[in-house]
Amino acid sequence: MPQLGESIAEATVVRLLVPVGSPVTIDQEVIEVETNKATMGVTALCSGALVELRAEEGVSYAVGTILGILEVSEEEVARTGVDTLEALERKRLETQSETSQSPGEQNLHFAVDGDGYEEAAPPEIVPSVRGLSVPTGTMGAHYISPRMRARMDEMGLREADLSAIVGSGAGGRVTVDDLEKFLDYIQTWPSSQASPMRLAVADAMRRSWTRPLATVGTSVGLDRLLSHRRHQEKKAGPTLYLLRAFALALKEQPEVAGFLIGSKVVHPRSFDIGVAVAVEDGVLVPVIRQVDQKSLVDLVQEYDDLVDRARRRRLTEADTKGGIATVTNFGTFGLTWGTPIPLPNETLILGIGAGVKKPVWSETLSAFIPATEADLEMTFDHRVVDGGGAGLLLRRIVALLQEPQAL
Amino acid sequence: MSVTYIDAIREAQETLLRDDPRVFLYGQDIAAFGGAFKATKGLAEQFPERVLDAPISEDAMAGLAIGAALQGMRPIIEMQFADFSSIAFNQIVNHAATHFYRTGMPVPITVRLPSGGTAGSGPFHSQSMEALYAHYPGVVVVTPATVADAYSMLIESVKLDDPVMYCEHKFLYRWLKAKSLQGDGLPIGRARITRMGRHATVVTYSAMVHEAVRAAERLQQESGWEIEVVDLRSVKPLDIDTVLASVARTGRLLAVGEAFPWGGVTAEVVSRVVADGFHLLEAPPMRLNSRDTPVPYHPKLWAAHRPTPESICDSLRKLLSY
Repeated sequence: MPQLGESIAEATVVRLLVPVGSPVTIDQEVIEVETNKATMGVTALCSGALVELRAEEGVSYAVGTILGILEVSEEEVARTGVDTLEALERKRLETQSETSQSPGEQNLHFAVDGDGYEEAAPPEIVPSVRGLSVPTGTMGAHYISPRMRARMDEMGLREADLSAIVGSGAGGRVTVDDLEKFLDYIQTWPSSQASPMRLAVADAMRRSWTRPLATVGTSVGLDRLLSHRRHQEKKAGPTLYLLRAFALALKEQPEVAGFLIGSKVVHPRSFDIGVAVAVEDGVLVPVIRQVDQKSLVDLVQEYDDLVDRARRRRLTEADTKGGIATVTNFGTFGLTWGTPIPLPNETLILGIGAGVKKPVWSETLSAFIPATEADLEMTFDHRVVDGGGAGLLLRRIVALLQEPQAL
Repeated sequence: MSVTYIDAIREAQETLLRDDPRVFLYGQDIAAFGGAFKATKGLAEQFPERVLDAPISEDAMAGLAIGAALQGMRPIIEMQFADFSSIAFNQIVNHAATHFYRTGMPVPITVRLPSGGTAGSGPFHSQSMEALYAHYPGVVVVTPATVADAYSMLIESVKLDDPVMYCEHKFLYRWLKAKSLQGDGLPIGRARITRMGRHATVVTYSAMVHEAVRAAERLQQESGWEIEVVDLRSVKPLDIDTVLASVARTGRLLAVGEAFPWGGVTAEVVSRVVADGFHLLEAPPMRLNSRDTPVPYHPKLWAAHRPTPESICDSLRKLLSY
C-alpha cells in the first residue's frame, strides 16, 4: 500500500483489477483503493507477472502493507530500482539489534535458558506525522477528553469552536491532535481579534442556541398603523407600535413568556421588553420598563433616549437587564423576513420585516387594492411554548396592530 | 567483554564487602555453593566469615539481619526466591518497617528478592512481591531493569538507613548484558525515560521495561507510532513527577507490570495519574498485568500469562485508537 497522501495511514481495497497469474506492465493500475478522501488506483512499480495477491476487496490495509507479489526479471529490477522482497528482509534484519549467545552458568537449583540480550543505546526518534489514524467519520466533538477540555479552557474555546474539525479518534471524536492541527491550519489564514462586543454576542447566541428554538410567522397589514402615525404630533416608529402590541398581548397570555428552569416555570413579573439596536460590530438590547402601562407617546422619548445611548455605547448594565422578551425590526435593513434568536434569558423574540406594498383582494370591492404588509416572525423556546400558543400570541399582536388608536 | 545483570549484583556485593566492614551477606547456600543463582560466587573465599550460610528459615534470616542492623551492621540477606520471603513477612513489615517510627533507630537491612518469572518455573518460583512490600510505610522497594541499575541501586540500597527490598529479576540474570557497569547515576526514587516518544507513555519497571521497548520498536516500524517508555526503577518511592511529565507530553498512559492484576504498582500509577493529571489524559488510562491466576509451569502457558511485546502492542493499539 503506497503512501497516498499526507496523514493517510491506511486505505480500503475497492477492486482487484488484475487476476493472479496475469502479466502487468509498469504503471498499470492493478488495485483500486479508497481513502476517506478519494478513490485512486495503485499502479505497478515495474513490469512482471502477478504471482500472489494478498489483498482482499473491502479490507483496509496500512501504508506499507504488501498487497501482492510480482515476479520480475532481474533486468527489470535493475532498470526500475524497486525493492525486492529479499532486499526488504535484509533491511529489516539490519535494523534489528544483534543478539549473542552465551553458555548458561551451571546451576543445580535453577536453569536459565533462552537467548541473551545486549542492552543497546536508545534509538534516536525521528519526529513524523505518519501513522496517525485515518479520519473515520464526521461525528465531531460528541466526546471531549479531559485533556481536550483542559486545552480548550486554556485557549478559551467552546464546543461550537470545534464544529469545523473532522475527528480522527474512536467514533470520529475530535482528538487533541486534531485540534492542534486545525489550529496550525487556521494560522495560515488571515485573522483578526474579535471585538469584546462580538464575543459578547457570540456568547449570548451560543448559550441561547442550546435550546430547541422554533419560529412561526404571519403577515400583518400596516396601513392603519401608518395612517394613525401620520396624524400624530409625536411620531412613534413601527417598532414602538409593535412593542406596545406585544406587551398588551403578553399581558393577556403571560405564560407564553415563561422561562423554564428544570421543572420550574419562571413567570414575567413585569412587562419589560427589550429592543434590539444594531451597533458597531454587534447588537445591544436596552429594555423598556412596564411597556403595558405606558402610552405610545410616553414611550417615544424613552425609546429615543435608549437607542441613542445604545449607539453611543452609553447604556448602563441596568438598562439591559430584566427583559422578558425582545422586539427586533430587521425591516430597517430592508429585509422582509428572518428567524431571530431570543436572548438566552428570554423565551421569545418578535421580529418584523420591511413593509411592502402588495395587491390584496378586497371582497367588498371585488378588486385588488394596494396594501402595505410586513412579515412578523416570532421565535420561541419550544420547551415552553408550542406552535399553537405562539401562533395565538402572534395573531393577537396582528389584531392589536389593526387598532393603533388603542395602543 | 560484557557484564550480565547477575554479574552486576555479584560485583556490587563484592564492592560493598570490600568498602564497608559493616556489610555481611546471609542466605541459604550462598557461601561455599555461591548461591542458587551464583550471585555470591567466590565471595565467601574472598571475604571469610562475612558471607554466611543460613538455615532454611527466612523468618530467622530476616530476624537476625534486623538485630545485626540495630547493632550497627549493614546486612544483605538473600531470599532464594522472592516467593519465600512471605515466610519473613512479619519480620520485614512489622518489625523492620516500623522500627524507626517506633524507636528512632533505623534498620538498614537490604533484602535481595530474586523475583519474576522465567519459563518453566511455576507458581512458587516466579512471583513478583514488590507491591506487597511497597504497601507498607517505612520500606523502600527497588526494581532495577538495567545492568548499571542492578549495580548502583544495590550499593545505594545498602547505604540507605531504611529497610530496602531489592527486587532483582531472574529473567534478566544472564539474558541482559551491558558493556560496563557504568550508568547514568540516577538515584533511587527517580524514574528514567528509557525511550522517548510522543504518542503514548508506557510506565513499567523491571523485566517489563525490555518487553515494553520491544513493543514500542515494533509499533514504530509497523505504523510510525512513537511510544515513550518510563522505567520506574524504584516502585517506592514512586517518581510520579516523571510519569506525569511524560503523560503531559503524550496524553495516553499504559501501565505494565508482571505482577498479578489485582491492585499493585500499575493500579497505583494509574490512580495517581488520574488524581493529579486528569486534565492531561486524552484517553482512559490502561493497565496490563499478568493473568489473575497462579503462574503456570508450562512455558507456553507462562508466555500467555505474563505481558509480552505482542500483548503490550495490542494494548497500545487500543489506547492509540481511542
